Amino acid sequence: MSLVELAIPSGSVYVGVARLAVASLAREAGLGEEAVDDLKIAVSEACANAVLSNQKVGASSPVDIGFERSQSAVIVSVADRGPVYEPTPADDFDTGSTEQRFAMSLELLSSLVDDCLIVPRDDGGMRVSLTVELP
Amino acid sequence: MELGLDVREIGSRAVVDVKGEIDVYTAPKLREKLIELVSEGSYDVVVNLEGVDFLDSTGLGVLVGALKRVKAHDGSLSLVCTQEKILKIFKITGLTKVFPIHDSLDAATAAQGD
Repeated sequence: MSLVELAIPSGSVYVGVARLAVASLAREAGLGEEAVDDLKIAVSEACANAVLSNQKVGASSPVDIGFERSQSAVIVSVADRGPVYEPTPADDFDTGSTEQRFAMSLELLSSLVDDCLIVPRDDGGMRVSLTVELP
Repeated sequence: MELGLDVREIGSRAVVDVKGEIDVYTAPKLREKLIELVSEGSYDVVVNLEGVDFLDSTGLGVLVGALKRVKAHDGSLSLVCTQEKILKIFKITGLTKVFPIHDSLDAATAAQGD
């Protein structure tokens, strides 16, 4: 059970809201400023990917964000209804395309949190789970 | 959430002072501004990120796109950034090798051959 659940409409303007909400919850949970900054970027990446992914298939269902806190970590999940994809970053950064942004996004997701898991949802779409250990 | 974009000319360069957060919502505004500059003939561009509080892959994508545009005209695109949390994003994605990143606007506008 998530401690906090937040559903944002699938629009880019709402990504900032999710980012601020998670930052505030993470700070309250005891993460330091640098870890909060990193998590903000990771949440922003996951939400941007979800919104763009929904857009790609014309899905207007909300992006579901969950915030959980265990004894040792903060876990944030971001789920969409867009197309299922293989979360492998491309090694070719030379195209300047949407794919390139996505590859950079995956690089950031895998670097900025302690664990990033990207899996298809049973009922369609993808779920990104971001884990940050508490100090 | 607003993104501040101020353009001024320093020497032969167009300097864009960016203020605020660059994310999936605001990045298109930055892209439009950079495309406008190039279409008006500014091929040597400095993007000043000192007033930026937040940057993610959507902003990086816009900067890479703009770099390609100016390079197509034998131009240059350099950045001003000293904030560690923003520099970190360029380091993780390997873009510190792609963009000349300066620690002051003076250094960026004085640099040759960027």
